[in-house]
Amino acid sequence: MIYREMTRKGIIVKTIMRLSGVVAITALSILTLPCAALADQGRVEELKFPRLNKLQVPEVDKIELDNGIRLYIVEDHSLPLFNISIRIAAGSYLNPAEKVGLAGLTGQVLRTGGTSKWSGDEIDERLESVGATAETSIGLVSGNAFGGGLIEYSDLVLETLSEILRNPSFDQEKIDLAKTQTRAGIARRNDNPMQLASSEFSKIIYGKESPYARQTEYATIDAVTRADLIEFHKKYIHPSNLQIAVWGDFKKNDIIKDLKKYFGDWKATGETAPPPPEVDYDWSSGVHYAPKTDVNQSNIYIGHIGGLVTDEDYPTRIVMNNIFGGGFGSRLFNNVRSREGLAYATGGRFDANVTYPGRFFGFASTKSETTLKAIRAVKKQMESMITEPPTEAEMSRSIDGYLNSFVFKFDTRSEVVNRMVTYDAYGIPADFLNQIKDKVEKVTPEQVVEQAKKDFQLDKLHFLVVGNGADFDGSLEELGLPVDTVDISIPSPESDSDIENTPENIEKGRALLLAAAKATGGVDSYKKIKSYSRSGNLTMSMGPQLMTMSATIMVELPDKQVVTILTPGGEMKIVFDGSQGWQTMGGKTNPLPETEAQSSKKDMARSLIAIFGSLDNSEYTPVYGGSGEESGHSVEYVYLIDEAGDELIKLALDATTMIPVSSHFFGTTMAGPAAIDLVYGDFTEVDGIKIPFKESKSTGGKQFQELTVSEMKLNVNVPADAFAKP
Amino acid sequence: MANFISTNLISSRSELNKTHLRIFVVAILALALVVPQANSFDIKDFENKIVERTLENGLRIIVLERRDAPVASLVTYANVGSSDDPKGFTGMAHVFEHMAFKGDQEIGTNNYAKEKIAIEAEEEAFLAWRSERNKGSLADSVKLVNLEKTFRSAQDECDQYVVTNELGNIIEREGFVNLNAFTSMDQTCYLYNFPQNKLELAIMLEAARFSNPVLREYHKEVDVVKEERRMRIESSGIGKLIEEWLSASFKAHPYGISGVGHMSDLGNYSREEATAFFKKYYVPNNLCLIVVGDVNAKDVFKFAEKYFGDLPKGDPIELIHTVEPEQLGERRVVVEDPAQPFWLVGYHVPNSQHADKPALDALVDYLGNGRTSLLYKKLVKETKKAVNVGALTGFPGNKYPGMAAVYAVNAKDVSNAEVEELVLGEIEKLKEAPLPEEEMEKIRARAKASFINQLESRVGMAIQLGSYEMIAGDWRELFRELDRINSVTGDDIQRVAKKYFTRKNRTIAVIETVDS
Repeated sequence: MIYREMTRKGIIVKTIMRLSGVVAITALSILTLPCAALADQGRVEELKFPRLNKLQVPEVDKIELDNGIRLYIVEDHSLPLFNISIRIAAGSYLNPAEKVGLAGLTGQVLRTGGTSKWSGDEIDERLESVGATAETSIGLVSGNAFGGGLIEYSDLVLETLSEILRNPSFDQEKIDLAKTQTRAGIARRNDNPMQLASSEFSKIIYGKESPYARQTEYATIDAVTRADLIEFHKKYIHPSNLQIAVWGDFKKNDIIKDLKKYFGDWKATGETAPPPPEVDYDWSSGVHYAPKTDVNQSNIYIGHIGGLVTDEDYPTRIVMNNIFGGGFGSRLFNNVRSREGLAYATGGRFDANVTYPGRFFGFASTKSETTLKAIRAVKKQMESMITEPPTEAEMSRSIDGYLNSFVFKFDTRSEVVNRMVTYDAYGIPADFLNQIKDKVEKVTPEQVVEQAKKDFQLDKLHFLVVGNGADFDGSLEELGLPVDTVDISIPSPESDSDIENTPENIEKGRALLLAAAKATGGVDSYKKIKSYSRSGNLTMSMGPQLMTMSATIMVELPDKQVVTILTPGGEMKIVFDGSQGWQTMGGKTNPLPETEAQSSKKDMARSLIAIFGSLDNSEYTPVYGGSGEESGHSVEYVYLIDEAGDELIKLALDATTMIPVSSHFFGTTMAGPAAIDLVYGDFTEVDGIKIPFKESKSTGGKQFQELTVSEMKLNVNVPADAFAKP
Repeated sequence: MANFISTNLISSRSELNKTHLRIFVVAILALALVVPQANSFDIKDFENKIVERTLENGLRIIVLERRDAPVASLVTYANVGSSDDPKGFTGMAHVFEHMAFKGDQEIGTNNYAKEKIAIEAEEEAFLAWRSERNKGSLADSVKLVNLEKTFRSAQDECDQYVVTNELGNIIEREGFVNLNAFTSMDQTCYLYNFPQNKLELAIMLEAARFSNPVLREYHKEVDVVKEERRMRIESSGIGKLIEEWLSASFKAHPYGISGVGHMSDLGNYSREEATAFFKKYYVPNNLCLIVVGDVNAKDVFKFAEKYFGDLPKGDPIELIHTVEPEQLGERRVVVEDPAQPFWLVGYHVPNSQHADKPALDALVDYLGNGRTSLLYKKLVKETKKAVNVGALTGFPGNKYPGMAAVYAVNAKDVSNAEVEELVLGEIEKLKEAPLPEEEMEKIRARAKASFINQLESRVGMAIQLGSYEMIAGDWRELFRELDRINSVTGDDIQRVAKKYFTRKNRTIAVIETVDS
């Protein structure tokens, strides 16, 4: 119905637009450049377009089952295919703060974790052996289950999805697999700078803890249990939270029968999810710099909070956005990309969501050396929206473009039926899109300027740059706002929660460390050590290869260290002077990233000499951590924790001899932060102290580094310039 | 069945019209025979709806009429890709793809006569600057500064005559969507979807940009492409890995040379070189126009003749004669990067015309497609050493012998060595025995489902038809793919695994994570 109206209007609308465009330009704008007259008038404008063929509106049948499931059905006989899409009214915004990742994990393991009838692997086999699919996921504000295949497998797909949604078994092994996959995703999230910039910008706009910006962390995914998944499913995945859309090569009545068969007798009850929380936006401004030294291109976001789809201004914003930063001929594209050659990727909009405000932003990715230039270029286009009214060509591109391409909102069955599902879910009227279209048609250049004045708060902008600051074309301070540094390092998993910080355990932990110090030489001998130097071979695994290099590690307690490694490419020195670190090789000196410098400081505090030598005045508290077994030894565990309660190291002492066997801590590997297991061996006496001459490090059961000491000296003369930065 | 459509050259307008009529009548009859009915789908019927025409100047046109919505997709398929980049000008095919959106002597300018003079001055300034620059250490630094200045101001001079992105503006204003283009090693495709009543405009604009393009804002667009390189390659661990891996795999054939181009080459193009490239490859006999959607084929042919008909035929384009020599032993590439580990292997395989191609397609499907694939089961489900795996063939192209590739995304803290051992172990198993018939049946069922699925996308179909027409020589070959996959046996899988998936024939590439 609405579509017929649209096609009829199409022609008329176009004529009106041409006329109003002409009126607009004479009445309004001398600002337009004279050269903006359309050069294509001679050719393109001569073309007469025939009437658009009538759109056969895909008819959607809506039926509600007795249990509350709403069905949306479209027959489509063009190809022998079957499709189903199920909307689930629950999202990750429902996650408790300490279990971010729960909804996503539920969405994944619904499908992979099997049902009471089939295991997850059996489902894989049933579907893939005939080229059919069934998948589930839960996103920010809603979940989705979809499936499809050749029409002869519609029953298989329906039965599978019904089983998955109704009787999931959340097999623990598949939960573990999903967690492994999530952890890999977390570890990789800084690998795509553009995606990283977008996530960080959301954190600035919505707040780090906001459901609209927070990210799954190792600690929050670790905290999710199978019981949580079962509860989430029970609470939210039930008939009254579901809408099912099907389209394909079937007869309506047949598919209704099938849907009733698989979903009709589902009587489960649960809750209606509370609506997504509102955003309480704090109008502030600032410059945010996220250092990423391994890229040569900056990703820039500039903006603030945006609006809602249901805002009265939404239609005007569609026109405004098209002119500002949407598509091939927008101001950002024309100027930042084509005219200035500053970026390949650029764009922007005053974005809108249905349930919570979108973001207003201008975006560009540009080489490090033109970062400030690009920031100014993007900002300038924001300003231009307020100071320079749209030209006739811009209005035409934006409005005619919207109207002329309106048919593409109906060119596939799936978008028609899925849009209806979404509109129903949010109580948006069925003719919403046509209402918008009617309003878009009438937008004037003046309204666009007014809208930009109202929406673009250019004195309250946030600027985010993800990039390599050393190569920028100036200082971000030139933007005249306070600059803060965004920490993009990925938080390590939290320490084991089995530390019981009781006075008894602290006392016992201290006693064990004293005993261990005594067993290896005595606390007094350790206290006398002010510096030491170890030389030997350092073997590292580089992929499939092992590489052995000679190395010397010189330490001045408590926190200065020089590591000298003879690499195939020459001598490399890694120095930490107590406050900062750097690396020197081939005459070139590069600063160590802050995280790595801090990590080498912690490495020094983890050495046995540092632990035993500072028992009286340590900033770490020893806590007894129970007993266990390691490499054939019965061991007693002692944790060292800092004031914040974070774990420095978990030390395993042989229960009989009190000699250290191994230690466990969260440190740095070539592949990034990881849980590391260090095994001590080959204890050799040096000046009355038994010192491990072999230290091998592994992670996830795989050894990646081994240090074999050939010479150890205590209280060495540290050269005066050892810690002088070149 | 489809052979009733004339593929003869057309010598005159009147003859063309007669032919149109004939085609039209026959096409109507053909359509009448294939009124769709539920559950009676025959791929042959679908194939029969496709009609083709070749203009006298060699331009090929393929049309698939589809009436389900009043829209259509147009793809202009240029049979030129990055592997055709001239030596020293890597990235040329891709840069030209960008330039094809800059308009012609009418679209994109407010005064072409003056613009032409300004562009010539800009080019002269560029050449002077470039020739000093390319003296290397002998270049005069003062001269360089002045030459660049002259070039920049000549560039500014051009700007005043440019109506920025006018071509794109027209396309967007008239309601075309998904305006885009892509360049691969084999091909350059220009695509958009348009409301069906704008067919003539669509074809007119395509003809405009390939008849007489003006390389305006040329050096700025090269800057844009440099940013694209920074984004896709230089700021992406996997981007870097693939570039390195290809260059290690191909020492002779241009499949090994960066498609987006090397930074130093990108800054070095002149318009003369780009124009020479354009004139050689963008000739009607090297182009194919494909329209899928709610159009009449006769209209497509009519407008193609009207707007493309006058383009002179170019010299025939020869294939690249360089043959990648047999590898003498395994090759390995390590990219040290702060990005997380990633593991990839490629095996040299023949091009898409080779008789072993269907068996290779089936093999990679079995190896790495979906949760029941050999590698997913072993690496992801069973050992949890990887979080995803994949396998594909015909990379980076199909026109010439390329590679079958297998990759794994390591789980956190899992080394490349562990992943490698598992992947190579599974590949070895394939060589031990023929693949059981039940596995072959699944491969065939999946191939059928994915074949029919792909028929749904208008633009996807258009690209496929163009690709088979230009690489295999006949779009009908697309419809033979299923028969070919169906004839593959379990013995074939074992045979091609043994033949191609050998240690000697492979190049392994990994990201080894290092701190930045």
